[in-house]
Amino acid sequence: MSTICSVTEEKALEINKFDFTYASADEPSLKQVTMPIAKNSITALIGPSGCGKSTLLRSINRMHDLYPGNKYEGEIMYNGRNILDEKEDLISLRVNIGMIFQKPTAFPMSIYDNVAYGLRLQGMRNKTELGDRVEKALKDAAIWKEVRDRLKHDANGLSGGQQQRLCIARAIAVEPEILLFDEPTSALDPISTQGIEELVTELKDKVSIVIVTHNMQQAARVSDYTGFMYLGELIELGKTEELFVTPKERLTEEYITGKFG
Amino acid sequence: MTAIQKRVIINGIVMVLSTLSAVIGLGFLFWILFILVSNGIEAMNWDIFLFEGAPPGYAESGLKQALVGQLIIVGAATVIGVPLGILAGTYLSEYGQRSKLAETIRDVSDIMMSAPSIVVGSFVYAVMVIPMGHFSALAGIVALTIIMLPIILRTTDDMLHLVPTTLREAAFALGAPKYKVVLQIVYRGAKAGILTGVMLGVARVAGETAPLLFTSFNDNYMSTDLFAPMASLTVTMYNYATSPYADWQRLGWAAAFILSMFILGLNIIGRLILLNKKGK
Ligand SMILES: Nc1ncnc2c1ncn2[C@@H]1O[C@H](COP(=O)(O)OP(=O)(O)O)[C@@H](O)[C@H]1O
Ligand SMILES: [Mg+2]
Repeated sequence: MSTICSVTEEKALEINKFDFTYASADEPSLKQVTMPIAKNSITALIGPSGCGKSTLLRSINRMHDLYPGNKYEGEIMYNGRNILDEKEDLISLRVNIGMIFQKPTAFPMSIYDNVAYGLRLQGMRNKTELGDRVEKALKDAAIWKEVRDRLKHDANGLSGGQQQRLCIARAIAVEPEILLFDEPTSALDPISTQGIEELVTELKDKVSIVIVTHNMQQAARVSDYTGFMYLGELIELGKTEELFVTPKERLTEEYITGKFG
Repeated sequence: MTAIQKRVIINGIVMVLSTLSAVIGLGFLFWILFILVSNGIEAMNWDIFLFEGAPPGYAESGLKQALVGQLIIVGAATVIGVPLGILAGTYLSEYGQRSKLAETIRDVSDIMMSAPSIVVGSFVYAVMVIPMGHFSALAGIVALTIIMLPIILRTTDDMLHLVPTTLREAAFALGAPKYKVVLQIVYRGAKAGILTGVMLGVARVAGETAPLLFTSFNDNYMSTDLFAPMASLTVTMYNYATSPYADWQRLGWAAAFILSMFILGLNIIGRLILLNKKGK
């Protein structure tokens, strides 16, 4: 049914026999997903539209809890605990597991305030400390040079690609351990896309990354591991170079050779 | 006649008719404005702001009691109605969402928005004026607040709805608690829209006469006592305009002019804010 490769590195997350059901659905949208996610690596999730990639990603930071009636079953182990536990503190979970969305989500405030937002949430008030952390985050997100002269300007004046990098800066400013990307380049032009891809690759020294993409070339370019999902199941997880060259599952092969999608 | 010729002719007729209707409508509007402005400007002078209304024939006569009363009644209704309306709208959009209670509140406030304001006036008359035994500014304030509330509540609800869900999710994803998401992200995104709703709500109640006739009624002299009757521009204008004295009719025009400029100003500012927001 499914082939899950073993991950030799230390693991950032271990998803075990995970089911997820939306409040409005009768059937689970994710079925028995078991998936290790390696630390300081990039794991890509690919598969046809509607197969459950976003649903899986949004389970990892418990985004589904924002809407009533959604149901998780199974476990997602993180730092030795099951984060699906009712006692899990969602606020600190989300500080440790950041998320970047498909469309840039710059807040209606200045560039500086955007990046400082998460830090201020944690109670950081000291001006120099805040300034240093904002600058570092913007540098790490490779956007410092473009915005250093207009930190007080409205973030919505930036281009789409710049806004997306700003959102990455905002997410890494709070120094999360894991970053979740949900098709972060699908709304961007090719040059901005390349910039984001380079950035993602550089970030893996500091964080573990899970990236959803509908673009197989992107998965092949940036990721260390790739998971192929189909109809709510994880069909195959493999080292990226192996999965794209010698897929073990027939469905994976059909998908990556473009027989469906 | 070919089908094309027929279409061209029908097209022409429809265009002429609709243009004509628009011109007639606009014509009346400008006529009203012209009469109002020409009579209003003629009636304006500093005495209007300095003196209370005097009996006909007296020189030092103005609208001071009505201006002060108007500011107190509309101001107090705004101070009560705006926060209440914004909070209720916030409940609908951010907490109640599609729940039964929220949908019921939406339906009720839509009905209240289209209810004739005189009905609100008689309601407040029944529950406040009769038990208290006399008219009062307070009753007028309550009546205007009731009229303003559904307008502000519904615009707030609508404007908060326009803030993209992903913006809220992005704030939650950084570990923000819900109240901070609402206060720091959602309100900020909807600021211009809510402000416009407030302006339009205030403009709407500022022009009300019927509910005040039943509640704050009128006073020919300056009063700041909330438990006593109080003058307002609209009721004063109604009284003076229907009087047989030229002096008083002139004051009526002045009241109409001041009121219209105030409401026009609020509307223009409200629309400018929205336009400015869209232009960005
Ligand atoms: N809020 C929701 N309520 C109910 N069903 C949903 C919801 N969001 C997504 N789904 C369903 O869950 C399945 C997986 O969707 P999604 O995770 O968005 O797929 P992908 O990201 O791979 O395109 C789809 O069948 C979709 O229709
Ligand atoms: Mg998706």
